[in-house]
Amino acid sequence: MLKILSYLLGQKLATVKDLCPPLRAEARGLPTITDRACIGSGCGSCVDVCPTAAITMLPGSDGKITLDLGACIGCSGCYEVCPSDTIAESKSTQVATRTREELVLSNDPALKVERKRGEKNVFSNSLHARVVSTGCSATDAEIGASGNPVFDVDRLGVHLVASPRYADALFVTGPVPKGMQSPVKDCFDAMPAPKVVVAVGSCAISGGVHRGGYAEANGITDLLPTSIFIPGCAPHPWMILHGILLAMGRDDLCVKENREPVYKNLPGKSVSPLLHAEPAGT
Amino acid sequence: MKVVTKLVPADRLQDSLQQWMMDPNHRIGVLTSIDGDQLAVLVLDLLHNSAEVWLSPIEDNHYKSLTLNIPQLHWFERVIWDMFGIVPDNHPRLNPVLLQEAYAPGLYPLRKAPLEASHKQTLEKDFHFLDVRGEGVWQLPVGPIHAGVIEPGHFRFSCMGEVIHNLEIKLGYVHRGVEKRLTEVPWKKAHFVAEAIAGDTTAANALAHAEAIESLCDVTIPARAATLRTIALEIERVAMHTIDVGGIANDIGMVSINASFSKFRGVALDLGDAISGSRFLRSFIIPGGVRGEPRMPVEQMLTNVRKLRKELNKLTDIFLDNPTAVDRCEKIGRLKPALAHEFGMVGVTARACGIKYDTRKHFRQGLYPELDVPIASHPTGDILSRTKVRIDEIFNSLNIIEKLLQELPEGPLSLQLPNQLAKDSVGVGIVEAFRGELIHLIFTDKTGAIQRYSIKDPSWNNWTAISIAIRDSLIADFPLCNKSLALSYSGNDL
Repeated sequence: MLKILSYLLGQKLATVKDLCPPLRAEARGLPTITDRACIGSGCGSCVDVCPTAAITMLPGSDGKITLDLGACIGCSGCYEVCPSDTIAESKSTQVATRTREELVLSNDPALKVERKRGEKNVFSNSLHARVVSTGCSATDAEIGASGNPVFDVDRLGVHLVASPRYADALFVTGPVPKGMQSPVKDCFDAMPAPKVVVAVGSCAISGGVHRGGYAEANGITDLLPTSIFIPGCAPHPWMILHGILLAMGRDDLCVKENREPVYKNLPGKSVSPLLHAEPAGT
Repeated sequence: MKVVTKLVPADRLQDSLQQWMMDPNHRIGVLTSIDGDQLAVLVLDLLHNSAEVWLSPIEDNHYKSLTLNIPQLHWFERVIWDMFGIVPDNHPRLNPVLLQEAYAPGLYPLRKAPLEASHKQTLEKDFHFLDVRGEGVWQLPVGPIHAGVIEPGHFRFSCMGEVIHNLEIKLGYVHRGVEKRLTEVPWKKAHFVAEAIAGDTTAANALAHAEAIESLCDVTIPARAATLRTIALEIERVAMHTIDVGGIANDIGMVSINASFSKFRGVALDLGDAISGSRFLRSFIIPGGVRGEPRMPVEQMLTNVRKLRKELNKLTDIFLDNPTAVDRCEKIGRLKPALAHEFGMVGVTARACGIKYDTRKHFRQGLYPELDVPIASHPTGDILSRTKVRIDEIFNSLNIIEKLLQELPEGPLSLQLPNQLAKDSVGVGIVEAFRGELIHLIFTDKTGAIQRYSIKDPSWNNWTAISIAIRDSLIADFPLCNKSLALSYSGNDL
């Protein structure tokens, strides 16, 4: 007992004070669309490499594209192959949105959607959440991590509860295949109102790589009214925290961030490490 | 790995398999089917580090169940029934594993030709729990949604007072149709699906997929790529074992110790970030090599690895030194070595029963088997034994990571693969995931397209362990016992 106490007292404070800072240099971010034009009418290499058909070249539009972060699994293929930096890496962790449409990025001005800020609501001071896992469990692990001493979601009055009866929010992870569709609806019905549904991870939003199969694993958004969308596969704990803060209308607590993408083709700008890193050990 | 294919008549399959299993160096890796017209068995020879595929054509969708004589096949036979509609006659407990009542009866997703209506009616697919009767016997249903943040599954306990007499497990809630999807997507993009099988086993699944594909292309990847793959595999093992030991601490009630384990799991995940850009090592290991260079200077990674080892050393010492922790884990959730052997158990579960089986000693995966790895093993088969094996493996893996980072060879990261896989062939990838023996088995057709992609998660061998280990224990011991076996739901459900 004394040993444990002395060990714990010897541990330094691990909690990061700033909420939702950008990802570290070595971490791969989600893609974003910049204001740089495609080459000609668009080379289409991003469309070819995307494993989930998240990128669409708008027909006859001279290089106008849409990128659906709700389908993106963050493989980084698109911004690696993009020759014009039209798609570039974003280190932002403040990527959660309140509507599905906000996740679809585009360089066509007619398709740009303004991102909504959170609004103060009944959950602003405290949110109790029930997590229902329906997928590969990487997102569950990151939800677990968001409660650890480093990210410490509990400091915001957020608590993960064991029963839907105590829950304000339903966090759904995974693509919700047929076997989980009825249990997750039962869980939602068992929750007292007011209640919100949060789709955590690209699988929960769109089904990710599983979309369109016989297991009907197409995400939660068609099954339950979803209020918050957190993209990523798996979303970083800071992204999950951002989604939670958005649900609570407290996203103003996040640090101010520089949303400048990581351009790889301009001298003097930061270089995508995946393509150009110095060989290690030299 | 190259495998020999043999034809074994269905009526001789049982004898041949029983004879094969007489040799203690032999194992059965996978029992499955390709398109519903045959049984396919992958058998492993641990003395010669080789494998064979036995094909047995069957008629009329029936064959004599192998389970009665070879108990470890009971799970496999249930899965074949689920996915192909092939009936193992006289199977003692024929219940669905992957496809449950949510799916239309008669859906056999992996069959080549649909079954005839008359045959379908004979396949009733309701789940029948074992009926345990007697005065004072009561049933406790748990799940599919559990109290914690974990994957879904249903447990049905039949208890007398506080004592569990029988536990039956119903899974399949997160069946996403991965095996079918892997035959539908272009094979050069299949790794994105393969690594989404189980989030905590990303690197191992990606590696098994890559090894299987590469065996169909007949290539050997560059040394630098093989080294980085091995490092990724071991980082995953460190991270997942760390949180599993933390989970044991949590279930004992040592929440603050778990908080520390959780923090250090984060440090291990950040090593994943450093080497691949993804905390869960996503999109890193691909057929042909790896996607990119380490994203952090090697010196800095080495410092982080050494720091992590020092911290985990302190923490695990305190944990194993605590009499409450040891008392809670000792002699509980015991698994007899004979039963572990009979049910073909793998990974930590087997090694905690003294069965020294580690695929890294036998089959090509990254730099193994040339790279020597010590096998962590404890004999007692209880929760403490499994925890000790995990802790030993954490440090073995950290040592391997340190050694490989110091010796990281120069050279290319990947090689160009041909556009076509070998025709009418079999590709196998066997990897020691942190849960144990993981197998990806690919059959190609006469055009070189993937005809059947079969995945055997270590949990297929090990789910039976929980029912055995918890028998005659208290309900209150279940969470701890469950945690110590660390079974995968998504890896099982596919």
